[in-house]
Amino acid sequence: MSVNATAPPPRWSDRLDRWRDPDERTLALLLLAPAFLLLALIVVYPIGKLIFNSFFDMRLSGGRVPRFVGFENYLLVFADVDFWNATKNTVLITLITVPGALVVGLGLALLANMPFRRQWPVRLALLLPWALPLSFAGLIFAWFFHTDYGVANDVLRRLGLADAGEPKMWLLQPGWAMAAICLTIIWKTSSFMALILLAGLQMIPRSLYEAAEVDGASRWQQFWQITVPMLMPSIVVALIFRTISALQTFDIPYTMTRGGPGNATETLAMLIHKTTIDYLDVGYGSTLAVCMFVLSLVITAVYLKRVGNAA
Amino acid sequence: MRAIPSFTDNGRGLRLLAAAIVVINGFFPAVWILLTSLKSEAELVSTPITWWPEAASLDNYVRAFTDQPLLRYLANSVIVAAGATVSSLIISGLASYAIARLNLRRRQLNLTCIVASSMFPLVTLLVPIFETLRSLGLLNTYIALVLPYTVLNLPVCTLVLVSFFQGIPRDLENAAMIDGCTRMGALWRVVLPLAAPGVFTAGILAFVNAWDEFLLALSLNSSPDMRTLPVGITLYQGEFTFPWPVISAALIVAIVPVALLIALFQERVVGGLTQGGLKG
Repeated sequence: MSVNATAPPPRWSDRLDRWRDPDERTLALLLLAPAFLLLALIVVYPIGKLIFNSFFDMRLSGGRVPRFVGFENYLLVFADVDFWNATKNTVLITLITVPGALVVGLGLALLANMPFRRQWPVRLALLLPWALPLSFAGLIFAWFFHTDYGVANDVLRRLGLADAGEPKMWLLQPGWAMAAICLTIIWKTSSFMALILLAGLQMIPRSLYEAAEVDGASRWQQFWQITVPMLMPSIVVALIFRTISALQTFDIPYTMTRGGPGNATETLAMLIHKTTIDYLDVGYGSTLAVCMFVLSLVITAVYLKRVGNAA
Repeated sequence: MRAIPSFTDNGRGLRLLAAAIVVINGFFPAVWILLTSLKSEAELVSTPITWWPEAASLDNYVRAFTDQPLLRYLANSVIVAAGATVSSLIISGLASYAIARLNLRRRQLNLTCIVASSMFPLVTLLVPIFETLRSLGLLNTYIALVLPYTVLNLPVCTLVLVSFFQGIPRDLENAAMIDGCTRMGALWRVVLPLAAPGVFTAGILAFVNAWDEFLLALSLNSSPDMRTLPVGITLYQGEFTFPWPVISAALIVAIVPVALLIALFQERVVGGLTQGGLKG
């Protein structure tokens, strides 16, 4: 394209060219724009709206006008037995399933790290639970723990650990329901843990083990002196991901017990869902959500610090 | 000195045992549901329960499609997951290219912003997202799910794609531009084909994420004909009892497509997962 000395008025084709080939910084901003617009719509604006709503008495069901109530909703939350019950359950699930998934995941990773002739069955066995929707895992395990026709009671009966006349009512008793839910979550999440840890294991240089062998270290010593420290970065990453999602637990308790019996297995996410989507109490539900967010932020921060120190 | 380090220096028997433990742990729920789906309703409610189906039949599969609109759920899931995959790839692809390649101030900050804000617990934003979509008249549409799923997928897609773009030599791109390509032309004709494996990996991860999501699908698209598979199957209702025979058949129908997908592309999936995970 030639440059005219007498600059003609910009023609459409010139403008099109500039649009097709803008300078680099403009282009960068243009390319980033969709991502940030989407985040503004789905994350940033909702955060503002959430905090705003939490100061209102706002129920979509009654047809009443929203009423500003200041911090009243927050005072109600602190006095709300259901909130503390859901908090207790959420924290309990996190405290049980995160270390549980780490231990099981580490075990699976160590087993899967052996030199198999064919890698795919083992790899697929780790990928399948990861790809299975949480809700499906909940449904499948609810069927396992079915009082009359579940395979769990059948195995117990065959092993002579339970009386056929009085099958255990797994999902109908608070403690056992919680145990069944935690077991399901551990099964479902340990394979993602295992995949991350397996990648970490495969990055440990073999020469370290050879050197330890020469020095006469036992396998137990090698595990604690080489494997665990070398694996720490992967463990920390896996723990962070797992903790953040454990605090948001919803699918598995919802599909297994709907929070029951009573509200013995109701988590914070389930309480918020019930309050807002089922009861349409938007004001109070928003307050619950703000409290849940602050709570999970605090737990994650404290936790990260602990884990960080340990690493 | 032995050539193989001690942790892996075990007999064939021990290796088989290890493989068996991992394989059984991974497959037993799916296998049990498959066996359940082949049993008749009468067999399922007889005690003591049977492990192997006495008279295997596909009746439950027929009923899964006729009792409830399973095909509709399947179509909804495919449309939503495919839509979310495409939109995640486009949006995070453009952003990743800018972050990995262009002259951008505060490169790392942009990346952190995208990753961190997309990891914000969407559960707590359920209400305002619900309200926003309601005021836009988008509840019970495919877009209602595609938008938040794209946000869910942004971190992993962006991390995978940034590292792929960074791995493509700049010279190739510059050469294309010297030959008269515009930068967008170079992105489209040179960089994208080279990044295809990365785009593919990110796409599978995005698809599986969207396919699996439950809470948003349950809350935002509650009308029966807009339900995705996880919601539709969970809310299957029998007259008095939960219809396990039909449920198990429906579960198998829902699991098979994704199981095939990850079985075919396992190495890619594992690579993408650990890459997205370890860099996050």
